[in-house]
Amino acid sequence: MPDIAIAFALLSDPWIVSWIVFGTLGGVVVGALPGLSSSMAVALLLPFSLYLEPIPAMALLSALYCAGTFGGSITAILINAPGAPPAAATAFDGYPMAVTGQAGRALGIAAVASSCGGIFSVVVLVVAAPLLASVAYGFGPPEYFALALFGLSMLSAIGGSSPLKNLIGGWLGLLIATIGIDLTTGVERFTFGVAELYDGVDFVPVLIGLFAITEALNQAGKLAAPLETIRLSATRLPTLDDFKRVRATILRSSVIGTFIGILPAEGSTMAAMVGYNEAKRWSKEPERFGHGAIEGVAGPEAANNAATGGAMVPTLALGIPGSATAAVIMGGLQVHGLRPGPFLFEEQPTLLYAIFLSMLVANVLFLFVGLAGAKVFARISLVPKALLWPTVFVLSVIGAYGVNGSMVDVWIMLLAGLVGFVLKRNGFGPAPIIMGIVLGGLVERSLAQSMILFDQRWTGFLGRPVALGFFALALVSLAAPLLRRTRG
Amino acid sequence: MSGSWVMAAVLSQLGCQSEPEGFPSRPIDVITHASPGGGTDATARAMLAGARDAFEVGMAVVPKVGGGGLVAMSYVDGRARDGHTIMGITPTHLFAIARGQGPLTIEDLVGVARATDDPIVVMVRADSDFDTLEDLVALGKQRPIKWGTTQIGSVDHVAGAMLAKAAETSLSVVPFGGGGEIVTNLMGGNIDAAGLNLTEGLDSIVRGSFRALAVMASRRMDAIPEVPTTLELGYDVEFATVRGYVVLSGTPEDRLRVLEAGLMKGLSSPSFQSYLEGAGLDRQSVAAASEWDAQIDRMYERAHAAMLELGMVEP
Repeated sequence: MPDIAIAFALLSDPWIVSWIVFGTLGGVVVGALPGLSSSMAVALLLPFSLYLEPIPAMALLSALYCAGTFGGSITAILINAPGAPPAAATAFDGYPMAVTGQAGRALGIAAVASSCGGIFSVVVLVVAAPLLASVAYGFGPPEYFALALFGLSMLSAIGGSSPLKNLIGGWLGLLIATIGIDLTTGVERFTFGVAELYDGVDFVPVLIGLFAITEALNQAGKLAAPLETIRLSATRLPTLDDFKRVRATILRSSVIGTFIGILPAEGSTMAAMVGYNEAKRWSKEPERFGHGAIEGVAGPEAANNAATGGAMVPTLALGIPGSATAAVIMGGLQVHGLRPGPFLFEEQPTLLYAIFLSMLVANVLFLFVGLAGAKVFARISLVPKALLWPTVFVLSVIGAYGVNGSMVDVWIMLLAGLVGFVLKRNGFGPAPIIMGIVLGGLVERSLAQSMILFDQRWTGFLGRPVALGFFALALVSLAAPLLRRTRG
Repeated sequence: MSGSWVMAAVLSQLGCQSEPEGFPSRPIDVITHASPGGGTDATARAMLAGARDAFEVGMAVVPKVGGGGLVAMSYVDGRARDGHTIMGITPTHLFAIARGQGPLTIEDLVGVARATDDPIVVMVRADSDFDTLEDLVALGKQRPIKWGTTQIGSVDHVAGAMLAKAAETSLSVVPFGGGGEIVTNLMGGNIDAAGLNLTEGLDSIVRGSFRALAVMASRRMDAIPEVPTTLELGYDVEFATVRGYVVLSGTPEDRLRVLEAGLMKGLSSPSFQSYLEGAGLDRQSVAAASEWDAQIDRMYERAHAAMLELGMVEP
């Protein structure tokens, strides 16, 4: 392992360390701001990184990636406004915790779970990147269809409300996912001639609307209520018992997140959703989910950070980006004249180990930032509502506009917020809707692609064992509540 | 840093309407149609890294995503034709114009500089039975060739369809949304062939996983000199992922020259050249205004003819 030693020596250079620290701090801030994602931050820093040597440049970008994915959880927990789509699932239980005066506890769990998930995935990346990369080749449209179907099979169980309402919410999400040009036919659907809708509804404005705006409206209705006493417990960090309780969840989500991250085009958002679902499924008290279960914070946070290392596997080993941010980092390698792919492992081992180590350092570093900051950040949950929510509103508008620089996105966000508010009043949660939007496009697209590949004969699925395996899991997942009921 | 980006976006939206004395008098916006992360975005940012120094004012990439370039074209159409707005274009824009979509016509586009010229390369798996393009064509006469593309109506789709037409063979188009997924599916054996950029498949070719059957260009590529061109093989089909920059007609000629000089400075900078190298391209990719402007018209003619032949546009 002389290469790893050289990389280690390189990383002890204060110049490079300072870039990692900068990337980590910047990543946490950018990740926390709704609408500003780590992929955008990496893209913006790309030209700037040209002035650096390849190793500090890559150290900066990969640290930004890891920390940015964690940062999203902070605003998801505190103000119900996920800083980025992967943090959406964190808000399901994180925000209820903040509301009940446990913001510090939720933030602490998020930091630890993110860090563990991230470190796990980097270790996997170091040990088995070239080996695991071939998993990506085994995943064609039929397998993605089966995986997405498995995801959708959890719809009825994901939210806090009744299974019927969850299914209706999921259906609404699927419907939103049909907007835009259909990939396999090239036909426009529900765009009404609005060019901005041609590529579908952007996920981020819907997310900000459903979470932040809905909650802002909700809080506006409670302003007249007498002020609650200030909750000092808000800044309290999680206890050792808390960590013991989420140990299994973190491990499970780390494995899930790394695996989903490795699949090209499947990013942290889906990893977090599946991580959340599995945390709930394996819990002895699934009814606490949606009302502030710490496993509900640990599950998605470990999974979405594990997906960062996972996404780097095909990016570095095959030259196929595993996520949007990984695609930008790949662009960064190209700008430095390096071509990601199997050759990188033979020709530039030092650079690769430097990337791995910077990711590792970033994952450890944001743990401290997260834990130290948790006490400070948690005070945000004590800010008077009349100040906090208008600020959230302004941030939301900027965030929605910032994604594509488009006013259409701002209108979509406001509409999503209004719809979310009405739905919430009638007992519908945002989780199934989000799930429908995330998986809706994939499930439809992969089925259409599979049918072209199978010459429009569905029997083709029978020849795909991996797909059949996921179909079986989906069936089990659907049948589980019925089985539990008959047993009870 | 990203805060400043949002600020820049907001400021550019408000516009600074004071009359300029010299040119450029305010930051130059480079409008792209791609979100951060894609090849178009990366190309623009790599160009900007070198071009920024050429102007005393700032330069910024402004993504206007959506509608296969339609959002970007509408946005650019709404801005003053004073040289402070540059648009990045690809064949996608020309296809859209050829189909009569959007506010612009081909006469509106004036080439400033070309950044990349990346021909479509027909690739198959190395362990497949296809040793030459003729083998692939022969398969297509028995059953449709499963041809992976990014999108319906994209340059790689039109390239495949035009090749099939020229070779009188049949094609079954499987859209995947992105080049990475095409590579995965070609490797996984889900599709027979695909029209990829060299960058996307070069590693796989060198490692012996993919075989390149033909380059859809008039000259062979330096990185794969043994691969024949479609023209050599007797098919008059020429398609490339070309990325270049234009301003709208009506922009003063002297300003066009200033922009050309600045952009060319960025495109010949060491950082852009190493970006090209990383993408498997050479300095021939870059071209100045005269060559690029003529190419835009030529590409448009071909795009229009292809759209007519494929029935994607009303005659």
